[in-house]
Amino acid sequence: MRTVAGPGGGGKVPAEAAASSGRGPALLAEQVRFALALAAGKGSGAAGRLLKIGGGTSLPGAIARRIDPLVLRKVAAASKARKAVILGSNGKTTTCRMLAALAQGAGISVAQNRSGSNLLHGVTSVAVREADLRGRMDAQLLLLEVDEATVRRVAPEVAPDMVLVTNIFRDQLDRFGELHSMARGLEVAIEALPAHATAVLSGDDPLVASFAPRAMARRLYFGLSAEGVGAKTPEHAADTIRCARCQHALTYRRAYVSHLGDYECRGCGSRRPDLDIAVTHVQASPDGGTSVTAETPAGTIQVHVPLPGLHNVYNAAAALAGAFAVGTLEPGSAQHALAGLRPAFGRLEEIKADGRLTVLSFVKNPASYNATLRLILQRPGRKHVLAAHSNTVVDGEDFAWLWDVDLEELVPDLASLVVSGTRAEEVALRMKYAGAGLADMRVIPGRQAALDTALAQVPPDEPLYILAGYTPMHEFRRIMQRRGWVPPFWEE
Amino acid sequence: MDHAAPMTIRICHLYPRLLSVAGDRGNLLALTRRCAWRGIRSTVAEADVGVVPDFTDFDLILLHGGQDCEMRVAARDLELKARSLHEAIEAGAVVLAVCAGYQLLGRYYAPSAGPPVTGIGVLDAVTEGGSTRFISHVAVACDLGPGGRHTLVGFENHSGRTYLGPGTEPLGRVIAGSGNNGDDGTEGARYRNVYATYLHGPVLPKNPWLTDHLVSRALQHRYRDTETPDSLAPLEDQAEAEAHAAALRLACRPAGRWRAATAARPRWRRARSRHTGADDQATRDAQPASEAIARTSR
Repeated sequence: MRTVAGPGGGGKVPAEAAASSGRGPALLAEQVRFALALAAGKGSGAAGRLLKIGGGTSLPGAIARRIDPLVLRKVAAASKARKAVILGSNGKTTTCRMLAALAQGAGISVAQNRSGSNLLHGVTSVAVREADLRGRMDAQLLLLEVDEATVRRVAPEVAPDMVLVTNIFRDQLDRFGELHSMARGLEVAIEALPAHATAVLSGDDPLVASFAPRAMARRLYFGLSAEGVGAKTPEHAADTIRCARCQHALTYRRAYVSHLGDYECRGCGSRRPDLDIAVTHVQASPDGGTSVTAETPAGTIQVHVPLPGLHNVYNAAAALAGAFAVGTLEPGSAQHALAGLRPAFGRLEEIKADGRLTVLSFVKNPASYNATLRLILQRPGRKHVLAAHSNTVVDGEDFAWLWDVDLEELVPDLASLVVSGTRAEEVALRMKYAGAGLADMRVIPGRQAALDTALAQVPPDEPLYILAGYTPMHEFRRIMQRRGWVPPFWEE
Repeated sequence: MDHAAPMTIRICHLYPRLLSVAGDRGNLLALTRRCAWRGIRSTVAEADVGVVPDFTDFDLILLHGGQDCEMRVAARDLELKARSLHEAIEAGAVVLAVCAGYQLLGRYYAPSAGPPVTGIGVLDAVTEGGSTRFISHVAVACDLGPGGRHTLVGFENHSGRTYLGPGTEPLGRVIAGSGNNGDDGTEGARYRNVYATYLHGPVLPKNPWLTDHLVSRALQHRYRDTETPDSLAPLEDQAEAEAHAAALRLACRPAGRWRAATAARPRWRRARSRHTGADDQATRDAQPASEAIARTSR
């Protein structure tokens, strides 16, 4: 480990510490504390990787904050990077990846929390990793996906130049009580933006579009305006389909994914805002991805999105809007920027497991589960499925939402079914009432035994679909990683 | 009664889109599936905003939960439906009301923000908004008469505190969780064939005894002049029994979920959190604890 710069070691004082003033011992102690926090955080990250006990995605942040609680605030304040915060129920990780690819395509260097570790310590870890011991960061764009409950603490510390909200679905309702109290947390982040900042909002999500009408920041709306895709009315799992202003039921001209679409309210006359970034044409391509045409203030842009499903078209629209907002959208380079994208960790991620193919899907609410089911059901053949949920603080305690998932559509296609996790009994009951035969269902709470049993039931030429919540998905992946089937996710 | 013709119960699903926030359509699924497994037919009619059906045409009426803003819309509309609903309930129609649906059957709900919401007063119950939410697994001891004692399990998530008047009895006594108001140990309410509860999860699939109780009451309502069997044919209920047992274990975990959360945290964080209030604990705990769990699971 490098030694910390001593007194008068030439190190420039981080902006905030300098401003806050004093001289002499107090200032010096503050500087040392800050440098120590960074050094200890960096050290723990390096040790974690060396000992292969983890990627250091949240431990460095935890340690650094313990030493200096202002570490994130100081790094952010000292940095000249543009700071972008990505929020929303679904699509945060993928949108971040796309936005990073667009920025890098335009020659902008990016620092981001890649592995979906979007709580306070995860976000702090990015700052600790990217900053040098004097707290300065080289990256030109600091890109952070932030959990809905954490944003209240992160946003004031980071002071973002851009806040992007992808959508709001009923996501872990028991953590927030009600959908609207969670929405309020995101709204506060937008209201706090200064006039030179930008709020990038989904115009197609009625609740998100109605956020913070009196905020000072510039607003940009993204969404879809494409023929031939989507449906006439939203599916039943949709939630916020009442007018945010007058509570009247919304009328849809087109619903693309769940409640996202082109809507109007016949009660108060409000309607979807005019889109600044509009996807006007969507064409499925043979590789399972999508060709997208978007109208943007920077001109018409064609991009190939190598990920399946309309929800990924939304992610691309959000990323284009975000890239425009932070000034990194170049129509020329954008076209190929997304071509190299791989599915994010656990998003229909394909893993070779000892000669068999497993398809790992992270499912956390009816919308993401239904989108995943639809993609799986498009694939040929009967389906071998391993479904797992656990009650943890991350995954929540309440699995009532499983009853809003269209599992009835999966059941006729089932070839074999193993359910697992600490809430295996709940999943089994849901599957039973969806029509799954009990004789064909195995209930195995232990993740390793469940994975082995499920794999043993799958013939060599057929895939195993793993549908799991956050914690069991990590566990399955770690088992696969120990067996050498997959690289650790922090190396991606 | 003509034994060759299959029996049928007529179900009315009130506000299937408006009040459907916590997976409660699982209740409808539990009712129709368990009927079908026994060869009992069921018809389901949906009654949305603006439609006023004759509720005496139904044997079983479902009214589920929603958020405050949705509840206000339902309350305005329910005024139109109230007369027919009262008539049906007095004639013995079976009603299952959950959460906001429960509050709407009471006299009023006065949330902490905004004007009070008027209920239709079927139940002698009033609900006051609270500053904190009751969010946890729940177990309730119920005695619904013949058929014996049973434990009702589920999940509650509400800020309203409901207090029952003398005209209404509770659905049961809280074993674990908060129930009506976190104060007097009661959970839910009963009046004639109306069963109201704060439990979702959804409540019926995990409590097949309650589902069957509602189905037999509905059959008695439908075929009152003829003989209906006292008890329904038994079903193979192993999955239900296991889910019930698991939910009961979760409800009875010592010190509840926050003990489980703090156990995953480094010792020094735990020591610190002892000094914090329980109210805000949810948000504060969620952050470090979830990171700790994510860390150990990698």
